[in-house]
Amino acid sequence: MTGIAVDPTVATSEDHPAPDRSSSSSSFTGTRRLVWLVLRRDRFRIAMWMIGLVGLMTVSASSVAALYTTPEELEGYARTVRGNSALIIQAGPGHGLDDPTLGAVVMNETALWLFIAVAVMGVFMVVRHTRTEEETDRAELLRAAPVGRHAPLASAMIGSLVVNVTIAAGSVVALIAFGLPAAGSIAFGASMVGVGMVFAGVGAVTAQVASGSRGALAAGGATVGIAFVLRAIGDVGNGALSWASPIGWAQSIRSYADERWWVLILPAVATPALVVAARALQDHRDYGSGLVAQRSGRSEATPALSTARGLAWRLQRGVLIGWAVGLGALAFFYGLVADQAEQILEDNADMADFFAQLGIGSVTDAFLSTAMLIMALFATAFTVSSVLRLRSEEVSGRVDPILAAPVDRREWASGHLAVALVGSGALAFVCGAAMGVGAALVLGDVGRLGGLVAAALVFVPAMWVVAGVTLLLHGLLPRWSLAAWAVIAWVFVAAMFASVLNLPQWALNLSPFQHVPALPAASMAWLPLVILTALAIGLIVAGLVALDRRDMA
Amino acid sequence: MIEGLHKAFGTTRAVDGLDLDVRTGEVHGFLGPNGAGKTVTIRILLGLLRADSGTATLLGGDPWRDAVDLHRRIGYVPGDVNLWPNLSGGETIDLLARLSEGGGSRRRGQQTIDRSKRDELIERLALDPTKKSRTYSKGNRQKVALVAGLSSGAELLLLDEPTSGLDPLMESVFQDCILDATREGRTVLLSSHILAEVEKLCDRVTIIRQGRAVETGTLAEMRQLTRTSITVSTDQPIDGLATIEGVHDVAVDDGHVRFHVDGSALDETIRHLSGFGIRSLVSQPPTLEELFLRHYGDELGVANAATSPKTEQGEPG
Repeated sequence: MTGIAVDPTVATSEDHPAPDRSSSSSSFTGTRRLVWLVLRRDRFRIAMWMIGLVGLMTVSASSVAALYTTPEELEGYARTVRGNSALIIQAGPGHGLDDPTLGAVVMNETALWLFIAVAVMGVFMVVRHTRTEEETDRAELLRAAPVGRHAPLASAMIGSLVVNVTIAAGSVVALIAFGLPAAGSIAFGASMVGVGMVFAGVGAVTAQVASGSRGALAAGGATVGIAFVLRAIGDVGNGALSWASPIGWAQSIRSYADERWWVLILPAVATPALVVAARALQDHRDYGSGLVAQRSGRSEATPALSTARGLAWRLQRGVLIGWAVGLGALAFFYGLVADQAEQILEDNADMADFFAQLGIGSVTDAFLSTAMLIMALFATAFTVSSVLRLRSEEVSGRVDPILAAPVDRREWASGHLAVALVGSGALAFVCGAAMGVGAALVLGDVGRLGGLVAAALVFVPAMWVVAGVTLLLHGLLPRWSLAAWAVIAWVFVAAMFASVLNLPQWALNLSPFQHVPALPAASMAWLPLVILTALAIGLIVAGLVALDRRDMA
Repeated sequence: MIEGLHKAFGTTRAVDGLDLDVRTGEVHGFLGPNGAGKTVTIRILLGLLRADSGTATLLGGDPWRDAVDLHRRIGYVPGDVNLWPNLSGGETIDLLARLSEGGGSRRRGQQTIDRSKRDELIERLALDPTKKSRTYSKGNRQKVALVAGLSSGAELLLLDEPTSGLDPLMESVFQDCILDATREGRTVLLSSHILAEVEKLCDRVTIIRQGRAVETGTLAEMRQLTRTSITVSTDQPIDGLATIEGVHDVAVDDGHVRFHVDGSALDETIRHLSGFGIRSLVSQPPTLEELFLRHYGDELGVANAATSPKTEQGEPG
């Protein structure tokens, strides 16, 4: 006999007939129950996406409605935006701005970011419910039950559809409630669903191809980035490349600007095509592994991997390099559009007044210092996630064998902390240098390089303070260490929405970023940097002491 | 080694007045069902948790205060091994071994990694060290931890259910390794609920229940303290057997009489039996399983449903 035959029913096949495949069982059996499982497991995530995206939509629409109340004001906005490459890259082609309506302006302000958000959500949701599940072995439990081979993929896609439609419906209701035309609102909702589902399909494909779930997420995320860039080039140029991007398709539906409904055919065809491709690819891979085989590792460790610090570096270096490449590219782009800043203000008296009130002489400097603040906020997300490695290492139990060796907790923690602190500085430097090179190119002023590197590096002590707060939280209240993300949220709100929300000064002062001199617009101030550095050291020492004294999870 | 140890998590008393004494050079079995407090005890010994009260002395030091110095002399194998997914097994083993060597090179009790021992263990356990840890099965992750823990020259091995997930073949390789370790004069604390493993390897055993040691000693000692089961057939019918103090569960079965007898009543019982002309007598010492079940029997409710001891809360990680 060849092969494996496990069939206890052979002898009594009359009593126990073989499974009747024709009637009810297929490779999709169990999909309906799995959809419920997906929605049940993700209910908090879905709620967060829902609140975040619909909330952003609502806040943006209301602020646009408040800012531009007359046709003249709308025309003023449109004049600023039209033909300005810097803004087109960040906002889209600006359909309907030739004869601007409120809807068109709201779209120009928010649509692109919502498309990117649902695209990322689609990739993450599908990869998480397919490959990540296989890696945790939870999928094994399900697949051992009478659940079809393709049911997890199908349920992830259907779950994504439910979430996308729910978010789109919420947005449509919000937009109509603001008095915007129903047709345009529905067109926008449909375009969101289109983007979300195409990228859910992209996630379904990368989940089959990549060697692991992290690789699948990275490949899916990179596809979102490529889609963004393709449409950016297309929107600035003749528009041809925008048709190569699902995000470009969504914009081409032209919500509130003489809607082109037929464009919805593109996502409606592409999504099933991606799912069919994913299904075919899945049939060519083994459970738990991708089409790209997992590479073998070394059989012996390099000398670098001999200490807790060496391990921390090894675990985080890939992430740090990824951040450096991503943020460097974004910073370079901000630098490249620095020369457009003057042009933005030429036509917009309100914004010119705004800058005048701030007492900022050069608009270019103001633009660059704001851009640098945004870059620093992004980089601080790395800082927090890097310190929080301590948490994931501890919660997973991977720290146990480290601490069972003659390694004390401070040594272990300082390894990850060193990556966080030095990595923050390195990221700031990369952002400053990349933005500096970009700005130097378009402004024809090499001196910009040094200035912008300095403008980036002044944020480092403030980033260290955030690292210190994160460490102290982890040391004192390990269950609450994820609250460190709230610190970032506060820093972000204080930096970006201080005037809109009319926050009191003492509340703003709680954000370490408020004390950083806004180079190059403002002048250098050493004292706050020294104080922030001292504060960071104090927090870190306190955090290490607290960590040393408590029980490990 | 441990006296009156207490550790509570909230209202759950995980370790509640535990006494445990492991002697140098012995293999000490640490028995108890899930949730009895075995892992918490070992984590206290590793200095990962701080005891609420009581004293623990490890190789003459305080496991919390002297953690780093003590760890130079300790090998540890956890039962639930979680590894860094993007490191290969070989890298993980080397990393843990180098960490065990420690930075300071001339300290007392220095462990040294035996390269040949590492490679030999990898070979014996049939582990592929080039695979990334994310692709390892549970058994293979366990092997990585075993190689890392056993290839060091540690004086004391703390093993927390070290063979969970291993197949019987690898289980026997593990037992050989432990026997090798004892020949080298090392001390082993083996937490386990695989009774056959404990019976084969351990010199002395401590049974723990709800955070408290309920029995400790050599297997021989423990057997003396408990009931032996006897099956006997005699020329004349036996009577008066049930009246002897210490004789339990008398049952007549096809000319044979079966009963249990306490160690203290054994002598009197045999003398009583010899008056009826013994034709055959089979005496079975209590198995470890019986010893174990005696302490947990009441938790099982019905005695013959002796398959899975009830799980308790309070054993994190």
